[in-house]
Amino acid sequence: MIDWTTAAPAVGAAFVASTVEVVEAFTIVLAVATLRSWRPALTGAGAALAVLAVVVAALGPALNLVPLHVLQVVIGVLLLLFGLGWLRKAVLRAAGLMALHDEAAIFEREKAEISGEVAGGRSKDWIAGLASFKAVLLEGLEVVFIVLAVGAGRGLMLPAAMGALAAFAVVMAAGLAIHKPLAKVPENTLKFAVGVMLSSFGVFWTSEGLGAPWPGGDLALFGLAGVFLLTALALVGLVRSRPAEAHA
Amino acid sequence: MSVVKEVLEELWSMFVGDRRLTLLALTVVGLAAAIATAFAAYAAVASGVLLVGALLVLADAVLAAARKNRQR
Repeated sequence: MIDWTTAAPAVGAAFVASTVEVVEAFTIVLAVATLRSWRPALTGAGAALAVLAVVVAALGPALNLVPLHVLQVVIGVLLLLFGLGWLRKAVLRAAGLMALHDEAAIFEREKAEISGEVAGGRSKDWIAGLASFKAVLLEGLEVVFIVLAVGAGRGLMLPAAMGALAAFAVVMAAGLAIHKPLAKVPENTLKFAVGVMLSSFGVFWTSEGLGAPWPGGDLALFGLAGVFLLTALALVGLVRSRPAEAHA
Repeated sequence: MSVVKEVLEELWSMFVGDRRLTLLALTVVGLAAAIATAFAAYAAVASGVLLVGALLVLADAVLAAARKNRQR
């Protein structure tokens, strides 16, 4: 039986983080499908998902062999590095010091790149399929890491994987319905939230692994998230550029 | 081979996208680990050091990037 007080942060983090990554992968798969056809786009995406499934199948059971406190420290440190990196970029984007992620622009750039390679004489379907494969593999690797990281420390791999699958289903349903890049998804807000959650998980797991558990157990995650959120918002206010200073 | 190279680059950038942030974060973790090991009775201090240190690392990374951006 899943304790949802414990599982909710893991499911939420996996869902939001996966939404961001699936949106990014979908943009490129859609560019491939628009330029060529759905066949190479889906073949490439399917092959990448198969590779990711192998990675999960290999890593998941292997993680059970690692002592829990070692696992918590290693995953905690990796989450901290990953989360702080995301949060740094999200703060800079929210402050107008870094360009926002533009799915429509990426869609057009990807189409231009594939067209250029096709003009270079290589097989059109091969190039299109490879572009789709790489996009899904690279974005999917981040999803796999997040699911393993937020799920492994407490045996919550299944709920975390459910969160990621739900994100996949929601984004695919929305993307296939509107058949355009999902440019209206508030990507930086989601990245801000993911950075806050992953950094909180990172501090939480690392502490637990070092034998310094937080008062309140898993509920401390909400407190840590609040502290990271307030600090990040304060930093946005501190470095926010005036419009004339902003670099697009 | 380019796919393998791109995967390795992606993995590297996931954790070492900003070298200064990575080095400082690892230093904070090392400090917290030293406190937790040497003073087990004061393990809560290690948690505090880890949290405050992580927040300071974030602030340093953001302020450094903002400074760099404005110098351009």
